[in-house]
Amino acid sequence: MSILSSPALTIPALCRGERDLLSGWMAGTSRGSLQVCVLFIVVGCGSYGLTIGLRNGWEMAGYVAVKLPAVIFLTLIVNGLLNGMLGLVLGSGIGFRQSLQFLLTGFAIMSLILGALSPVTFFATLNMPPPDAPGSYTWHGLNLLLHTVTIAFAGILAHYRLLGYVREFAPTRRAGTHTFFAWLAGNLFVGAQISWNLRPFFVSPGLKVELLRPRPFDGNFYEAVLRALQNVSPF
Amino acid sequence: MTDQPTPPLPPPLRPNPRDPQEGFEPLEGGSDLPNIINKLLKKPLSIIHKVETEEDGGRIPLRLLFISVVCLAVFGLVVGTFSWEHQIWAAPVKIVSGLLFSGLICLPSLYIFACLGGLDAKFRTIVGVLCGLIALSGLLLVGFAPVVWLFSVSSNSIAFLGFLLLALWFVCAGFGLVLVFRAGRALGMTNTGHLVVWCGVFLLVTLQMTTTLRPIVGTSDKFVNFEEKKFFLAYWSEQLNREWAGEESEQRPFSD
Repeated sequence: MSILSSPALTIPALCRGERDLLSGWMAGTSRGSLQVCVLFIVVGCGSYGLTIGLRNGWEMAGYVAVKLPAVIFLTLIVNGLLNGMLGLVLGSGIGFRQSLQFLLTGFAIMSLILGALSPVTFFATLNMPPPDAPGSYTWHGLNLLLHTVTIAFAGILAHYRLLGYVREFAPTRRAGTHTFFAWLAGNLFVGAQISWNLRPFFVSPGLKVELLRPRPFDGNFYEAVLRALQNVSPF
Repeated sequence: MTDQPTPPLPPPLRPNPRDPQEGFEPLEGGSDLPNIINKLLKKPLSIIHKVETEEDGGRIPLRLLFISVVCLAVFGLVVGTFSWEHQIWAAPVKIVSGLLFSGLICLPSLYIFACLGGLDAKFRTIVGVLCGLIALSGLLLVGFAPVVWLFSVSSNSIAFLGFLLLALWFVCAGFGLVLVFRAGRALGMTNTGHLVVWCGVFLLVTLQMTTTLRPIVGTSDKFVNFEEKKFFLAYWSEQLNREWAGEESEQRPFSD
């Protein structure tokens, strides 16, 4: 049976981690599983991204609504081959299609959590003064903190659930754990860089609203972190 | 063969107090409003049971909403007697609309977090649980209304009354949130940790709502002030400082 006809019915089963649903997805017997995950990521992360950018106006809200799901998809595309290979070489038996399905499932759960929290963050954003009001740096910092904590919470929750699934699917718990952490390291490494290329997600006071900063591929995230550390270091 | 007397039987075991299904039983006495109010206080899980299991259970959330609106309006009316004037109608309107809007924006996250914890129930049951939370909190606030009235007619301090109202809100919401946890466990949740986070979010939203819709206690030229955005802690701190500096004192219409 195709789940594309009523993806909303999949939400509670996916959140509960129902084994029948996930087994069908991994075995490829349930049609439309990849499309449903993509739909959840677009809607969930898109609606949450809207609330991130809304503080700087509807134009920025639209940009982040597009860019937040794009970070996830681009990370999975760039790392697709690597994730499949890691799954096989680390003994979990998880191939290319299944690794993509696992990771999309994890991101779909994260997107459902973020989408469910987006009315709350929308309300919080409406209660923040505009970026040109006094105390803009303080509010910018609070805004960053709010969204960082929310995204981290959703990400940790979703990936903890994903870790359980991978451990169950793999022939040994150890192989599942190694595969999961290898995926996590690779996706974090690439995801941070893709986020850097697609910046800004938050507009610092004094900077203008843009889809992408000039020369988005000039420099990288890790060089920027190193420069920031050098700036604050006494050495 | 013994002449020893038979020892008395031990007392029967009490039901396991940790049984998650305790109280989750069919609703007795019908779905009329007086019985719903009665059961909301005595056996709230039986209301949730009806919403989840019976075809006509969909009407129960609407009745709970009605109870919420009436109770919160009555409580708001009592709060409005502190300042009188337009607060007599403005305070009930703000309290009712603010709490219902807070529930509405927290509903999606309640559903998702409950599912993440293993809950197996219909969406309308979650709506019923949320309506039960607000209705039970509203009922208990009505119970505290005479206390609020007493302090509102004998105090000039906006800060004191505000603090009292917040404390009462925490107490009453606490009972409502316990209902959410009990309903979650009865409906199959194995991990209620997610609900703890949701409770924190819900309380934060209601606290910010009191500042968004200010003033609820005290007077102002405007009905609401959406132009000036403030975080609730900053607003409370400002009000306290103003009162301590002697700038703020409520001009009571019937004071000596």
